[in-house]
Amino acid sequence: MEQLLQHLVNGLVLGGTYALLGIGLTLIFGLMNVVNFAHGEFYTLGAYAAFAALALGGVDFVVAVLAAIGAGALLGALCERVLLRPLRAESIDTTMLVMIGVWIAMQNGELLVWGGVAKSIPHPFPTAPLVLGPVSIAPLRVFVLVLAAGLIAASYLLIHRTKLGRAMRATFQDRDTAALMGVRISRIHTATFAFGSALAAAAGALLGPVFLAYPSMGDLAALKAFCVVILGGLGNLPGATLGGLLLGIAEELGAGYVSSGYRDAVGFVIIILVLLLRPSGLFAREERIG
Amino acid sequence: MTAPEGGPLLRVEELHAAYGPVAALRGLDLTVGQGELVCLIGANGAGKTSTLRAISGLLPAARGRILFDGRPIHAAEPAEILEAGIAHCPEGRRVFPYLTVQENLEMGAYVRRDRHAVAEDLERVCTHFPILAERRRQMAGTLSGGEQQMLAIARALMARPRLILFDEPSLGLAPTLVETTFEIIADIRRRGTTVLMVEQNAYGALRMADRGYVMETGRIVLAGPARALLDDDHVRRAYLGG
Repeated sequence: MEQLLQHLVNGLVLGGTYALLGIGLTLIFGLMNVVNFAHGEFYTLGAYAAFAALALGGVDFVVAVLAAIGAGALLGALCERVLLRPLRAESIDTTMLVMIGVWIAMQNGELLVWGGVAKSIPHPFPTAPLVLGPVSIAPLRVFVLVLAAGLIAASYLLIHRTKLGRAMRATFQDRDTAALMGVRISRIHTATFAFGSALAAAAGALLGPVFLAYPSMGDLAALKAFCVVILGGLGNLPGATLGGLLLGIAEELGAGYVSSGYRDAVGFVIIILVLLLRPSGLFAREERIG
Repeated sequence: MTAPEGGPLLRVEELHAAYGPVAALRGLDLTVGQGELVCLIGANGAGKTSTLRAISGLLPAARGRILFDGRPIHAAEPAEILEAGIAHCPEGRRVFPYLTVQENLEMGAYVRRDRHAVAEDLERVCTHFPILAERRRQMAGTLSGGEQQMLAIARALMARPRLILFDEPSLGLAPTLVETTFEIIADIRRRGTTVLMVEQNAYGALRMADRGYVMETGRIVLAGPARALLDDDHVRRAYLGG
């Protein structure tokens, strides 16, 4: 029982960042119909941006996360504007291939700039864990969980309480009619891709200091983001949030009770089961954004 | 530059448009005067919906011109055309099913910057359509067909347009609701908004319109005062059931 609580807490920390990754990917997938294979690279970008800000810039950790978010949004917007906008009329296969190209290019770019040796991202938190009854947790992880929760809440507010979010949901539900309302669909695409990429970068900046930063760190993150999207259903924000938390907890439980070597396998076993039994996702109501 | 006094609000000249290799409009000409209610009738596939989609910028014009208030709009984006003053209430109502009634209405005012006037219009529309006020927080997809039509019309009004394009507003509605819908459209015109309407209910549409156009295979084949079209032999045989 005591062990279970510990696993749940660890799972939440991991799951919160998976949720961020998943929300970003599901928005891009749902609204733009782009299978973003480069999503993991924005995660890596976020980790390195945080590393640069913390190790080289010597700034506050929160500022470093914000810097990562800014870098992700900027590069995401650029990527959409330059590569995806000219291909809007093309098939999903075409844009998928382009995003695979972006994935390879970004990963090798990271290798070129930062080298292949894993970097430990410095953080200002004490390493002695906080002990709350049966659960002990590193202060860094508490911070990661809180910030992830804050960013998820901010995403909900953006989608449900702002004019941009309303236009995004309208575009997802009926593109032509949204255009008739005066929504400039191209701008919605740029904003969506920037937003999704920023969330991936935020996840990288948060988990980077927990683990390590290295150029191929995004590969597994991207796969997990796809897991979360499949779990939650296309364009489904609550689904991605719950899916992320569920995946994080399942991984922790798998690692704790089966074998830590199987940690990453747990998620994929779940995905295979979901695809077999509930292919539209665990929480799918209909196709939706929001 | 504005049109000379009494000139048409909307003028479509020699308009051609296509969906890929399939021609939809083949040299269409029509005008809509300030304050008029004009209806466009024709068989399925004649190009009525394509005409409206071309005017509102969803279907790019291959050749020809569209002038609104004397200004060319055939190369403009849908958002610019809406800002110029043309709202389009599309076929099949097309409310956003997972936005609330209020959010749908707010989408109608998406291009407007005058937030206070938008809030006022929202209240006005809700007074005008009490059923929408009642269902304000409900998802639009849960409304009945008639309610969705009211919402689609109200949403178009939220843009404060000078010209509204209605595409088959009576489609799929119960007869009493068809009557109500036509009354609402007549009322919109009485309040000073110009209307161009596409209708398969040719009799009902011509009865309320000032002028009518008959479309066949992407062009206008007959035009005239609505009364005259109602009495025309060809129109009676082809569109009014004898």
